[in-house]
Amino acid sequence: MEGPSSRLSAAPDGALRLAARRDSGGEAETDLGRDMKTHFRVCRFIMETGVKLGMRSVPVATACVLYHRFFERVNVQAYEPYLVAMSCVYLAGKVEEQHIRTRDIINVSHRYFNSGSAPLECDKEFWELRDSVVQCELLILRQLNFHVSFEHPHQYLLHYLLSVKSLVNRHAWSRTPVAETSWALLRDCYHGAMCIRHTPQHIAIATLYLALNSYGAELAVGEKEWWQNIKEM
Amino acid sequence: MDRDLLRQCLTYHGESLFNKLKCEQTENPDFQAVVSDLCKATYQSRSEEKSNPLVEQFIARKADILFSPAWKTATLQEEEHEEEEATEPYAIMPPVELFMEVSYEERRSMMYRDLERGDIVVGRINNIREYGFFLTLLCMAGGLKRDIEDLELSALCHIREIPSSGSHDDPLSYYQIGDFIRAGVKDIDRYQEKITVSLHQASLPSSLKHIKLGVVTREELPIHYSRSVRAATDSSETYERILTSCHGYQNPSVVDYLLEKVGVSDTHPPSMMRGLQSKLFLEEDFASAIRKKQSAQWALKCVRAGVDHFKHGRHVDAMNEYNKALEIDSNNVEALVARGALYANKGSIMKAITDFELALESCPDHRNAKKYLCQTLVERGKQLEEQEKLVTAEGLYRRALSLDDSNPEAQEALHKITDTIQKSIRLREEALAKEQVKTKSSQTSAEKLRKILKEEKRMKKKRKRSASSSSSSSSTSSRNSSSSSSSSSSRRRSKKKKKKRRRSERGSKRHRRISSRESRKSEEGKSDKDRKEKEEDEVEWYPAPPNTSATFLNQRGVLGFGVRDGGEVEEKDAEDRRISQLYSLSAASEEEESDSPRRERKRRDREESRKRKNSLSRGPVREERRSRSREKREKSRERGKEDNRRDSNFKRRSSADENRKLSCSSAEVECSWKSRSEYLGNSGSASKHPESRLRHDSSSRNSFDGGRYENRGRQENRDVEEAKSEKDSRKFRAEEESSSSDRGHGRKSESAGNHYEQTSMRPRKDVPANLLDIFNQIAQFEKEKGVKLKK
Repeated sequence: MEGPSSRLSAAPDGALRLAARRDSGGEAETDLGRDMKTHFRVCRFIMETGVKLGMRSVPVATACVLYHRFFERVNVQAYEPYLVAMSCVYLAGKVEEQHIRTRDIINVSHRYFNSGSAPLECDKEFWELRDSVVQCELLILRQLNFHVSFEHPHQYLLHYLLSVKSLVNRHAWSRTPVAETSWALLRDCYHGAMCIRHTPQHIAIATLYLALNSYGAELAVGEKEWWQNIKEM
Repeated sequence: MDRDLLRQCLTYHGESLFNKLKCEQTENPDFQAVVSDLCKATYQSRSEEKSNPLVEQFIARKADILFSPAWKTATLQEEEHEEEEATEPYAIMPPVELFMEVSYEERRSMMYRDLERGDIVVGRINNIREYGFFLTLLCMAGGLKRDIEDLELSALCHIREIPSSGSHDDPLSYYQIGDFIRAGVKDIDRYQEKITVSLHQASLPSSLKHIKLGVVTREELPIHYSRSVRAATDSSETYERILTSCHGYQNPSVVDYLLEKVGVSDTHPPSMMRGLQSKLFLEEDFASAIRKKQSAQWALKCVRAGVDHFKHGRHVDAMNEYNKALEIDSNNVEALVARGALYANKGSIMKAITDFELALESCPDHRNAKKYLCQTLVERGKQLEEQEKLVTAEGLYRRALSLDDSNPEAQEALHKITDTIQKSIRLREEALAKEQVKTKSSQTSAEKLRKILKEEKRMKKKRKRSASSSSSSSSTSSRNSSSSSSSSSSRRRSKKKKKKRRRSERGSKRHRRISSRESRKSEEGKSDKDRKEKEEDEVEWYPAPPNTSATFLNQRGVLGFGVRDGGEVEEKDAEDRRISQLYSLSAASEEEESDSPRRERKRRDREESRKRKNSLSRGPVREERRSRSREKREKSRERGKEDNRRDSNFKRRSSADENRKLSCSSAEVECSWKSRSEYLGNSGSASKHPESRLRHDSSSRNSFDGGRYENRGRQENRDVEEAKSEKDSRKFRAEEESSSSDRGHGRKSESAGNHYEQTSMRPRKDVPANLLDIFNQIAQFEKEKGVKLKK
């Protein structure tokens, strides 16, 4: 199975392929595949926890990026990926100024793994969990050389959306949920490590392009495509 | 599934997508419904670059999510008026077609396709005719954002679309060639490529109504236009560069703002993953819900530990546990109930009640809370009963019973207290009746003398009133006289008015005294009032003797007026004593002060005391009764002991401070009465005492009085005087004077009440033997009556 790097291409299709692949699930049970599956699952965990904690899209994206960057150079067997994920969520909340309490993270994660269980008691187990989350956070920071602030495609995507919106007929635009689809695609692309391999502008354009494509929306074409203008590729 | 969207998509992608769709979505019932429609659609052949099997597969797989009707974006967001550059919330970019170099024809046709009624355009006037003016459109300013400057679009603004400026000039004269005009599009003729615009605000849709149409300056042109001009001229300005250089791009909350603008929710975000559809998440799995449950759980644990402590008697530990529990979960019902019980046990009843109330707010059916609250309310009611706040206590008992019907204690307490209240009411009425009878029947020499003195005062007041009419408060004498004259004149005017005033003042003053006795006394007071009025009626017909100052001087304490008004309750004794002491003080000061204008003051005093009596009678029942008794007693004593000076001082003082007077006056009167009763025992010392005090205080008093007079208005004077009963004016005046001087003294020592208490502590003074007898008589008589009243 080809790794994600082989899918790199300047054309937006690269992003689309990756998304499609993610969707169809992992394939061969190679190590890499297994790892990717794990990462996929853990990122799914991060996303779901983010929604339940009321986190905004950008902090969730930060958490995913932290996770992917951490496991870029680290063997996934060495550390418990879910614990790393919890710590990434905690750290991302701090970085993006949407502070999440450890108590809430532990509660939601516990419920995620033991669905329908009673809330944890304030006992030794709880405090140990909390301590491990905090310790892991320090570990992540060290692994990433304290470089924890990233530029995300969300801003770009929104501005592009507005620009493209002005190109099309307003009624056609309101009929076509391009904004929602592109936003959904953008969030979902953080399941994979693609998000750290491309520039945020490219990712934004890619998601927007795919969204427009899915609905068959046609845009005015000039000397250059709209996306060519937005970012010189 | 959105049929139109699907169709659009299929048209775009071609037949292969359709086939894939059919494969992937066979189970989807929605798809089945539309598939028949779609079969009929024709597919254009697409260029190679666009067909991508992966994409098609993706679309096919996700079709149910992509095309679900719930995914439609919200209604068209309001176009906000573009702010100035410095305050833009996001980067307002020039139209992107500028960068795309879309062809002229395409843009033109797009323009005509997309321009709509209600869009705002900005143009420059290039031609003015008699029927309107023509604009060359420069840019859009709302509703659409396109690059139109070089399209050379032209629009007509007809003269009737120009709002009339009010003057009768030709509206077109207001406009000149070259002006920038912001106008709303009224009509577009696509085929003939004609645009008509209007300057009426009504032509704009509601979302754009706030934008002003008409002439605009160059600075008011939209930002995106100015930016596009810059970008057009400078080819190095790429979209990217403009975007990042925009001030609005740096806005930290730009993502949230724009998300809202495009209509996507961030709390329940959309996702293409089937597992991540947020509507599938259970509400109870969300962090806030779990936290609440957990807090309640942890708090409960603490409460249990606390109850355990409580049972073993470790109250401090128990309280700590309860507080800890409430810190974890601030409205925890169990913790509040437990803490309330602990407070009640310790005796902090009010805190306990608060806690129970809080608990019942969140859980109105908590059995224990109700039970404990009922018991606590009964406790509190008992406390209040002891403090004689019967009505409040009754209220509490009722509430307790409403909470828990079966509580025997509450029922019993309620019955008891209603009985008590009724009994007290009855007793009061009886006492009043007795007083009235007694009043009418008693005709001691003291009473007669009192009446004579009253007459005297009245005459003097009349004279005074006629003499002075100024209402300046600068001089004590004028103040006194004017106030006295005004009061006496008012008194003379009509009994009815006085009665009304009295009643109203009584009512108002009643409010000021909040005690359990009030309710009882109010009822009694009403009958008192009647009695007083009767007495006053009797008294008023007596001609006042010409000059009674001498009699006052000579008859210190000899005045055996006896009991004029019937119902003086003995409860007032303490206060009376205090007041009489005050009176003695004030009287002493008064003596000093009124050395020169003695007579005048006496007259004034009489008037004032009369007024005060009037006002007193209007005051609260208690006051009235007290004042009446006071008047009687005090007058008798005063005549024996005090000077007119004292009276005048008292009057002045009492009039000076309205509110305090009211309570003061009664208190003072009582004090003075009390002091007089003390004088019975030691007549001499009483006079000596105030005199000594007078000497000590006179100078300061003078200044103080003067200042007070200036500070307080005549109003107070009048009010006080009005407040005091009108019946025994002289006596009352004397009393008032002494009390006012006392009060003045008291005021100097801050609070009259404190002072009263202090004064009441003064030892009894010596009174000459003859005075003693008279005072004894009076005191006895009063006491009898008071005892009877008290029941």
